[in-house]
Amino acid sequence: MRLPERQLAVLEAASATDERTTDEIAVETGLKPETVTGAAFDLRDEGLLAVTETTTEVAELTDEGSDYVADGLPETRLYRAAVDAGAADEAVAMGEVIGRADLAGPEVDIALANFPRKGFGTIDSGELTVDPNADPDADPEAAALETLADGGSVDDGSVLDRLASRGLVDLAERTTRAVRLTDAGVDALMEGVEAAETVGQVTPDLLASGEWEDVEFAEYNVEADAPAVEGGRKHVLRRTADRVKDVLVGMGFQEMEGPHADSDFWINDCLFMPQDHPARTHWDRFALDVDPMEEIPETLIDRVETAHRDGWGEDGDGYHSPWSEDFAREVALRGHTTSLSMRYLSGYAGAELEPPQRYFSVEKVYRNDTLDPTHLLEFFQIEGWVMAEDLSVRDLMGTFEEFYRQFGITDIRFKPHYNPYTEPSFELFGDHPETGEEIEIGNSGIFREEVTGPLGVDCDVMAWGLALERLAMLTTGAEDIRDLHGTLADIDFLRNAEVSY
Amino acid sequence: MPVVDVDPDALRGLTGHTDKTDEEFKEDLFGLGLEFEGETDDGELQFEFAPDRLDRLSVEGVARSLRYHYGDDRGVYVPEVNDAEWTIEVAESVPDERPYVTGAVVRGVDLDEAALESLIQLQEKLHATMGRGRAKGAIGIHDLAMVKGAPLREGAERSITYRGIEPDGETFVPLDSNDELTPAEVLEEHDTGRTYADLVSEYDRYPAIYDELGLFSFPPVINGKRTEVDTDSRELLVELTGTDQWTIDKMCTIVCYALSARGATIEEVEVAYADGATHPAEYGPELVRPNLEIDEKSVSHDRIETLLGVDFEPEDVVDCFERSGLDATYSLDESVTYEVEVPPYRVDVLHPLDLVDDVGRAHGFDELEPRYPDVGTVGGRHERTRLEDAVRTSLVGLGFEDLLNFHMTSGVENYDRMRIEPGTDVVGGGEPVEITEPYSEEYTQLRTWALPSLLLLLEGNTHNAYPQDVAEIGFVAERDETENTNVGESRHVAGAVARRDASYEAAKGRLQAVCDDFGATLETPRTDHPTFIDGRTASVVVDGEPVGVIGEVHPEVLVDHDLEVPVAAFEFDLGALR
Repeated sequence: MRLPERQLAVLEAASATDERTTDEIAVETGLKPETVTGAAFDLRDEGLLAVTETTTEVAELTDEGSDYVADGLPETRLYRAAVDAGAADEAVAMGEVIGRADLAGPEVDIALANFPRKGFGTIDSGELTVDPNADPDADPEAAALETLADGGSVDDGSVLDRLASRGLVDLAERTTRAVRLTDAGVDALMEGVEAAETVGQVTPDLLASGEWEDVEFAEYNVEADAPAVEGGRKHVLRRTADRVKDVLVGMGFQEMEGPHADSDFWINDCLFMPQDHPARTHWDRFALDVDPMEEIPETLIDRVETAHRDGWGEDGDGYHSPWSEDFAREVALRGHTTSLSMRYLSGYAGAELEPPQRYFSVEKVYRNDTLDPTHLLEFFQIEGWVMAEDLSVRDLMGTFEEFYRQFGITDIRFKPHYNPYTEPSFELFGDHPETGEEIEIGNSGIFREEVTGPLGVDCDVMAWGLALERLAMLTTGAEDIRDLHGTLADIDFLRNAEVSY
Repeated sequence: MPVVDVDPDALRGLTGHTDKTDEEFKEDLFGLGLEFEGETDDGELQFEFAPDRLDRLSVEGVARSLRYHYGDDRGVYVPEVNDAEWTIEVAESVPDERPYVTGAVVRGVDLDEAALESLIQLQEKLHATMGRGRAKGAIGIHDLAMVKGAPLREGAERSITYRGIEPDGETFVPLDSNDELTPAEVLEEHDTGRTYADLVSEYDRYPAIYDELGLFSFPPVINGKRTEVDTDSRELLVELTGTDQWTIDKMCTIVCYALSARGATIEEVEVAYADGATHPAEYGPELVRPNLEIDEKSVSHDRIETLLGVDFEPEDVVDCFERSGLDATYSLDESVTYEVEVPPYRVDVLHPLDLVDDVGRAHGFDELEPRYPDVGTVGGRHERTRLEDAVRTSLVGLGFEDLLNFHMTSGVENYDRMRIEPGTDVVGGGEPVEITEPYSEEYTQLRTWALPSLLLLLEGNTHNAYPQDVAEIGFVAERDETENTNVGESRHVAGAVARRDASYEAAKGRLQAVCDDFGATLETPRTDHPTFIDGRTASVVVDGEPVGVIGEVHPEVLVDHDLEVPVAAFEFDLGALR
């Protein structure tokens, strides 16, 4: 018979007549106790060993218990101090004894509670008297603590329970296993057992030589934790963006691309945002200290200025706000990616577009907002639009219902809203997929003719926008956006954020 | 978004719905787009709404909208107006920066404390919105009984004058004061004066309104105490000055509608311009105000149907218009077109499309059944983001944690802490694109390279376990006059290996792997870069073009970032892998 080396060692250490504990065998064989136990069970399964298990209660000192072994139990210290103070003859003020005993904090209460219980004396009206016949040296609790500290065992269950209730010892169950050779085990040993070679690792040599056929592989504790492995992973916000892009591409949208620094013309004027609109003051935008944009198609500027000053179409009215071309040419960081939509719709970004078209982008925008858990100065905006003949509000609703359904947000509500650049306009509300609370999930509408007309678009365009971070917070459960985005990010948070797909 | 404070008792009185509870009002107003925000200390309900229907900035305006909503009122309403008794004379001296004036006389006023408060609130809210903080338009309301106007001109019985005066040219006692002050002194000494000083302090002459007794209003800053309105006032003079005639006329109209709803009678004033005074280009040299003219716009039945996606009978559309406070007529020609009358308090109707929105709201957008548009298009990603994604996948496969950092940074982070200077010929040494009037020292410019962001992140994560291999493919920008925007924008690929055994080799091995993925030939000739250790720095040359830098980060940079492990890093232009 061939057995793995450690099983053989255990088998040889076992006796047919006496039970031997696994701990004893571990000492004798030099194997780890858990290895011995594992081998013992394997041998039992082979029918070579009998294993018996006994469960005993063991008591271990707590930190507090250990302290008292060194310093003495508080009540004992109180007793001795009281004797020193002469309390065997007449009552002594409690405060004096406590001070003399050097008791502090919770020890005082512990001492005062146990002192009379143990018959060390009496406490009355703040004065303390000792019983001269008491003998703290014979206190079974102190003795039990000493014994346990010396590694001995205490049999008196009531004393142990008392110490456990005082928090001085922890009682736990310990299982000891003892083994004895079975008849089959004896026979096997008589017939001779050889050690099978065990190897730690599969090696190229082992494989090439064919030796692998004759070896046993050392067993691992397969339940043990492995050392941590940190792989790289895509940023959680990028993954959310990817998901959005997948959905939009699937719905027939093409991706847009364009400058982050752009003229106010493309960012705001094309959008029919009056130049004195509060969002265009320096409080809200990040103006850049570069020269104004020179190249903007002149006819486009003229038409946009006309829309602002006089309105668009026969019955259109303008804004009654100042409009200056110089302001339009100033360069700033875009406050929304609608600047890209304007560039594409006008044909400036590439080819003139004929309906139908669908376009999107998931790109960064810049707003001078207050930094807080849900707002950043830079964030990603999901922007999308559909250009077609005779689009209706119902088409807009149908498109957004489909988009949000992909993220588990159903039953979206369309609240009529106002934007300078769309009419009708709607704020979109939906229920949080986890908490069920109503949240704003986007802003949408059909571009006004004052927007599309000057761009040369003579069909309908419906558009919407949404902060990607808002969607990411919904899908990842992040509560503070600053954990995710920016140089304050916590690398552990990024490593541990649940993968979304 | 504007917020209006509404006294629910006043709302019950003004709508005539005395049995409505606060809760019912909240619900009904939500349907109109006014969202309940909370209560004021004295129990008024606060509603927030989008800044289109500025005629709803008072409880009177909110009540009017509700009466249309409930069907109590239909169609256009314009209050009766009596003929003018007063004239506003506009003098040649009026400051060029603030040439326009309008106004109205209101009689039969009976204001209790609440109504007076509502009027003051409306005035303030109009200042904050249409008035652009009083710059574009400012309202002054006076007790007419305290104004003494002598006829200055034949044909007018009484008049006041809008003129420009020297900053110290006259004294008056402003509101909330007992001192005789000149306008210039008001700007220095009076609280309200200091608040609005910036609006006029650059003017050569200050705006002023005079009656026979002298200066009684210093628009847009403060009124005189003499004409202060209180609950005993029975007749009011409303005057507005500003930079745009249409805007102040509309503000005046909204105030007149609110006072009319309280039972007052509106009386016209004439505005007469002296020779050489500026009169608004779109009108003649004499105006009669307030302007309560009805505007007309036409919109086709077809447009309403296609935009809302609903088939209507013309009567239904007219019904929707009337329930929106509009009137409409149409002729049953081949294509139905509505001639729609718009009352003067509406400031949001710029285009026939706005009327379609009104029909949609009256019909109920909730009633519309969503449908997926039957329009076929082909979707796809932009080449740039596909490339970015492919490189990101390579980096992540090499064990880099993908980062997302801010594009805005400061010169200290971007240059100083990296030991480089702007305008030098090293990676990251481009001239910065700076933010005009930055709000925070941390965000004063766009980053010219990405590596500083990676080091900042490492600096913030010294408490976390190593190795920390991090990478970012991100936006960088520098001044570039050859670009139309004057900003050169590009994407950089940056990677940093932070670990006990980080070395030049560790960085180069990873960079080589990325280049191999994209079939790019990498060479690394020796170079100098202050961020890196001399002799352990190379130029990243891809397919023969220098596109970046690689090396072991200089200990001075590491120590400055509180790092106690070596860092090897690279950065190059994403376009090199194209």
